[in-house]
Amino acid sequence: MTESRTTAAHGGAIGLHGIKKWFGNFQAVDNVTLDIRPNEFFTLLGPSGCGKTTLLRMIAGFEMPTEGQVLLDGSDISGLLPNQRPVNTVFQNYALFPHLTVAENIGFGLKMLGRPKAEITSVVNDMLKLVHLDGRGHNPVTQLSGGQQQRVALARALAPRPKVLLLDEPLSALDLKLRKSMQIELKRLQLETGITFVFVTHDQEEALTMSDRIAVMSAGTVRQVGSPWDIYDRPAERFVADFIGETNFLSADVVSVADNRARVRLSSGAEISASFPADVTPNGSVTVVVRPEHARAGAPTGTSALRGVVHDIVYLGTDTHVHVRLDDGTAFMVRQQNARSGHCGFSKGDTVGIDFSDDVAQILRD
Amino acid sequence: MNGAEQVAIEARKQDIRSRWLLSAPALVIIFVAAIGPLFVMLLYSFMVKGDYGDVKPWEFSLDGWTSVFFQRDIFDDTLGLADAHISIIWRSIQLSFFTTILTLILGFPTAYFIATRPPHTREIWVFLVTIPFWTNLLIRTFAMQQVIRNEGLLNNALIWLGIIKSPLQIIYTDTANLLGMTYVYLPLMVLPLYASIEKLDFRLVEAGYDLYATRFQVLRKIVIPLVKPGIIAGSILVFIPSLGAYVIPRVLGGGKNMMLGNLIEMQFGAGRNWPLGAAMSITLMIIVMVALIVYVRNASRGGSGHV
Repeated sequence: MTESRTTAAHGGAIGLHGIKKWFGNFQAVDNVTLDIRPNEFFTLLGPSGCGKTTLLRMIAGFEMPTEGQVLLDGSDISGLLPNQRPVNTVFQNYALFPHLTVAENIGFGLKMLGRPKAEITSVVNDMLKLVHLDGRGHNPVTQLSGGQQQRVALARALAPRPKVLLLDEPLSALDLKLRKSMQIELKRLQLETGITFVFVTHDQEEALTMSDRIAVMSAGTVRQVGSPWDIYDRPAERFVADFIGETNFLSADVVSVADNRARVRLSSGAEISASFPADVTPNGSVTVVVRPEHARAGAPTGTSALRGVVHDIVYLGTDTHVHVRLDDGTAFMVRQQNARSGHCGFSKGDTVGIDFSDDVAQILRD
Repeated sequence: MNGAEQVAIEARKQDIRSRWLLSAPALVIIFVAAIGPLFVMLLYSFMVKGDYGDVKPWEFSLDGWTSVFFQRDIFDDTLGLADAHISIIWRSIQLSFFTTILTLILGFPTAYFIATRPPHTREIWVFLVTIPFWTNLLIRTFAMQQVIRNEGLLNNALIWLGIIKSPLQIIYTDTANLLGMTYVYLPLMVLPLYASIEKLDFRLVEAGYDLYATRFQVLRKIVIPLVKPGIIAGSILVFIPSLGAYVIPRVLGGGKNMMLGNLIEMQFGAGRNWPLGAAMSITLMIIVMVALIVYVRNASRGGSGHV
């Protein structure tokens, strides 16, 4: 069993075409079009109320889109009931059946599909091994810890070998340490089973750690889709840059555009090179973002890109955040790794020059 | 023994004393209102019946108990089974059983419907269910009589619609008893069922659908096992008063379709046989207790299905 699982690719492709969803007067999802590839770990990331869970529930079949289509491997499944879709869900609070044992929970889907008893028993045993719960099959689920319940929920959803596994904030109820280990566990399960995972979370770190691709959502719309690197290093707009990680916003004027790079002039007068989203041609005044760890603070020199005065220093153990008030009044943060023990080298009130690594500045859309 | 220990022991004694004092009102009620009368009834069932009702004090006999199930032949004085009593007891058990089943079949969808409404509308529905309790049982039973009697609402309507030619004989049959009891005891089934279903986590229902269960499978494998406490409570609340029903069989069942409650009443009234009445009352209690034990045991076993 395990061998066939690792070799075969079972993942289905999900297509969401022009999905709109209204609940009364409230529009939860506004014209979402997404293509989720087979065997990928795809994350819907956004703040609460952005429509990510509604989107997931429409893939599962618990909600019907007001407009638009849900496709599985190219065929329209919009009209199918949840029990007719080869898609399973790991619910936020697990939703384990409290009156059944661990094994009965895991075997539930296969039993409903009318599989023979022997097959159910063997799949259940495989699943128990897969989630490290061997020998716990006869325990009542109510006696398990949160982390163990989580793994039963995963095994229960994986047992019928769905084409797509939907995960609705499955780690949010766990404590930090358990959450970290479950992140690795989830990624391992996804690679081992080859099933397409669609993961919903509001935790950006979770999304960056596990995903092959991320869709960042806000107010019912998809703001940007891309790899964790794209999303973090090449945010297309202010919401994405702001929601994921910490960042510095600088106003600048476009000087010239060549290929996929632009020269922009910062308020200090310095010119730097910046990338921009593929679907825009930057001109006039734009906003440029630079991540705090991509900037360096040092003694001001003639060639420094920016100049300012240190007004706060925050020591975080691994890093130190140096908060600088730039000459034009903008706040700017530099994150320095504490490679050496001791003081970061600045004190409040120092005048510093700031430089960037190459290729780190990104121009936002509009 | 040191002083501190002494103080601790004193405090514990004080604690025990105040605990008894606090539970005294409850104990008084239990003894005076429940165990006391039961004991009196038990005592009466073993006494000799008085000539005009009551009992002859402190003259003991087993006649009361033997006449629950047996009767003495008037000619040769031999004991034979009391067919009339046995058939009435058996009818009571059967009717109560079917009443419980019927109220469950009708009450479950009702309770499920109410529990799945938005919270503020639920209260209105629950309120509507309790409205019949505002009217006296006797009046409700007479109303039922008006509906099912031969020239009543139901028969007239069916004749007017041309479905039947002559009225259906419903009143003064066991069907009338069953209808009456189902109508009267239905809220007692709906309310505990509703309380149970309302607490049901409907995400489990979603999880069931997600794992390929059909509607019927979700009902059988998830909903029913999880609301079982409500089913048990409702069944008990309906079965017990059904078994002792008095007004309903009196008004709707007529003389021929007596139930245990009427039989007992007869012994204390026209029958002037208090020991027999007392023995029958205790028999009724024993039936209820046995039924409860069997039912609850069966219901709590097989709580989890098998994969």
